[in-house]
Amino acid sequence: MTDISRRDFLKLARDGFLYLSGTLTLGGLIRFLDFDPNPAPQTKFDLGPTANYPLGSRTSLPEIPALLVHSEKGFAAISLTCTHLGCTLENDAQGLACSCHGSQFDTGGKVTHGPAVKHLSSLRIEITKDKMLILHTD
Amino acid sequence: MRKLIVVSSGILLLALSLAWWVNSRQPKPVELIPTLTGQPEYCLTCHVDLPEISASHPVETFGCVICHGGERLALNADLAHSTMRGGANPSALSVVEASCGGSNCHSGSEADDRHHTQRVMTSVQSTYAGAIANIRFTFGAQTDLSAYFGINAITDDNTLTGIASLDAFDVTTETNPMIQKFGENCLTCHINAVPREGEAFARQTGCAACHSTEKHTLTTAISYTQCNTCHNRGNYDLRTMTFIERTDHSLKRIDDYYQPIAQFTQCEYTLDCVDCHTRSEAMGDGDIHANKKDAQYVQCKTCHGTVDELPLTKTLTDPNDVAFRMSFLNPVVDLKIGDTIIITEEGEPLWNTRVLSNGTYEMIGKVTSQSFTFRPVMGTACEQKPDEQESHYCHECHALGR
Amino acid sequence: MRPSFFHHIHPPTIPAVQSRWRYTLGAGGIAIFLMLVLVVTGAFEMFYYIPTPEGAGLSIQTITYLVPFGGLIRNIHFWSAQLLIIVSAVHLFRIVFTGAYTHPRRFNYLLGLALFVFSILLNFTGYILRWDSGIQWALVVGTNLIRVIPLVGNIFYQILIGGTLPGSATLIRFYAWHIFGLVSVTIILIGWHAFRVRRDGGIALPPPSLRTDLGRISRFELVRREVLAMLLTTAALIIFSVFVPAPVASPITQLTSVSAESRAPWFFLWVQQMLKWGDPFFWGVLIPLIILIILVLIPYIFPKPLEAELGRWFPKSNRLAQMTLAFIALLIILLTVFGSLPVS
Repeated sequence: MTDISRRDFLKLARDGFLYLSGTLTLGGLIRFLDFDPNPAPQTKFDLGPTANYPLGSRTSLPEIPALLVHSEKGFAAISLTCTHLGCTLENDAQGLACSCHGSQFDTGGKVTHGPAVKHLSSLRIEITKDKMLILHTD
Repeated sequence: MRKLIVVSSGILLLALSLAWWVNSRQPKPVELIPTLTGQPEYCLTCHVDLPEISASHPVETFGCVICHGGERLALNADLAHSTMRGGANPSALSVVEASCGGSNCHSGSEADDRHHTQRVMTSVQSTYAGAIANIRFTFGAQTDLSAYFGINAITDDNTLTGIASLDAFDVTTETNPMIQKFGENCLTCHINAVPREGEAFARQTGCAACHSTEKHTLTTAISYTQCNTCHNRGNYDLRTMTFIERTDHSLKRIDDYYQPIAQFTQCEYTLDCVDCHTRSEAMGDGDIHANKKDAQYVQCKTCHGTVDELPLTKTLTDPNDVAFRMSFLNPVVDLKIGDTIIITEEGEPLWNTRVLSNGTYEMIGKVTSQSFTFRPVMGTACEQKPDEQESHYCHECHALGR
Repeated sequence: MRPSFFHHIHPPTIPAVQSRWRYTLGAGGIAIFLMLVLVVTGAFEMFYYIPTPEGAGLSIQTITYLVPFGGLIRNIHFWSAQLLIIVSAVHLFRIVFTGAYTHPRRFNYLLGLALFVFSILLNFTGYILRWDSGIQWALVVGTNLIRVIPLVGNIFYQILIGGTLPGSATLIRFYAWHIFGLVSVTIILIGWHAFRVRRDGGIALPPPSLRTDLGRISRFELVRREVLAMLLTTAALIIFSVFVPAPVASPITQLTSVSAESRAPWFFLWVQQMLKWGDPFFWGVLIPLIILIILVLIPYIFPKPLEAELGRWFPKSNRLAQMTLAFIALLIILLTVFGSLPVS
């Protein structure tokens, strides 16, 4: 063990205390700021009876935002949030288009034109015993 | 000085560590977002083991604040409880309109038979109008037995009894010393009164006076013991205007139910009060009555009929019938469309009864779930007369000895 | 070494006698430090506080009970504010009882008084931001006191309230005053006040020819003392705030409803007591104003302390000023004690 002078020891102690204090303070402030006062966002949406969405229909649900498709394969839903930076997609001639930066997707949700690279995510559909549709976004 | 700075840095570090340590020891907030309000509440952080109040009021749907009030975000007991309605009992009549009433709950329209809070507030058990009128008449403060006063002032805009309002009985404006004593000694048994001291009298006030048989529970299966926190507790001596408590205590139902001086039949002590006495009688029919006898109308013949008549019945065809609503709340019977039940002279359904195929009747005890089958009076040796319906007539033959 | 801001605010050496803790009590420095703590903790509270009547009380409960360390930050903010009033009063006492307000420091004395007034206004506006049943009557009474001022009362009232009755406009205006309007002026005043300390020759002391002790301390020793004061103040604030919560009550639902608490904040209890005696303008506005004016005039109308007696406590030459301040302080303390007793 090398000899440490009294002065250097005190300096080390002081700096150690202050750095640790700084860390505790910074940690506390980060925890303080990392709190969400809002209730959790909705992830379950009641879409009503299946009868409202006949076979062949493609229904835009802007409040989610999602697209509900009723095909021969059953009910499916895709997210209408552009995978680039989050704008809501609109219908156009070829499928779905984003007005923010020009991304385009086909009717099945696959990206056809950038800058987006990921396909649109599909969302889970639940059909209850009394034929009510529930959309899950989680 | 340098040493002092080192020491102070150490003290600061200790202070911050103390802050972190105290923070880690705080109970983690338990959030509940009731579906009816959509607003987070944190009551369950402290009230962890509180049982559900009833199957009809699940905490995930209602939460706590919608009935109780209070500060939903506070984790300090004094602040959290500071704005609670009615203290620990939100059904106290002073706050019941906001708590049990609410915009969508038990204060609906008379047409739907959902005007519960208004009915209770005008019922004789709340107003005590008959007792007050009788005493004031007896001691000369009023010249007839009409009801002018109730425990609280109350108005009835759609009165069918002609009594549109009652003023609050104020013992300080009474001059007769007997009426003053009445005001001091005899007003402990109405729904909004704090009960007398003693375990035999222990109950809550407001809706909870009847519907809350234990702490933080709501039930429609109200046992006779709940009614007996006011009823059958003793006698009033009108000469001294004092209450003389009954001194017999028994664990046996036959001895406990009624006072030693009472006579009763098998029905009257085996069944609970709520098996016979209807909602109108106990909770009020929405009108101010001057006397209990105007509100109370169920008699032996309501179920048993008379020598010449069978009891009134009704076959249930409407799924929205109030009988189904009642049996849903207390499923001692599995009532179905097509079942025939006994109804009272006022049309109230005795939903815990059924007409059986062989001409007899069945009643299921609302509290005990015991099943009782009985015959109508018609065709038996009973001498019941339609105009002799006071209990003492039946007791002449049917009274039980203890 | 090129001069820096550090060099600018810390002279190479300062006189040792007047730098002692027992001379200055560190009051002025601690006051400035408390203001810094208030700005920092206040800034953090701004991430959660909602300045609307519906949101204010609930957001404060969120900060106090739900946000990690929210309660601590809020308590530190509250206790620093109350400590600031006390420390400022101690500093004022020190200045008068050591005669440190005389020429060339008279203007700086006025700046200091202005800072004291602004500290109180900041404390009051912050108090109102709670918008709970505890502050309800202080809001009504405090703003109505403005209305009783002749001629300009109503206009000032409407500007303060943002309308004809206290409501959501009032809250947002008090918020604007508290986080910006008053703070911006206070920051300028602090800068000016600190600058004037330097420009007027530092801590008051006799001229060189009359000094007995010529010892001096270096700027580094001065900084060490400042650091020590800051560390100890911070530690004390944290420990106190961990154990003693700032007051919070149930949110105001209706401004006219009866609330249990009808007390002024502690630093206005003396005014509340006087208001029980009669005309609100006389007792609530004029008398406090006269007291402030007397304080303002101390360096101008009372016998001035002699140069030879500067730099120490209780000089004989300005006894009258000292006694006047002591009398005013005693009066305010007595009125505060009586004001805090329950209304019979």
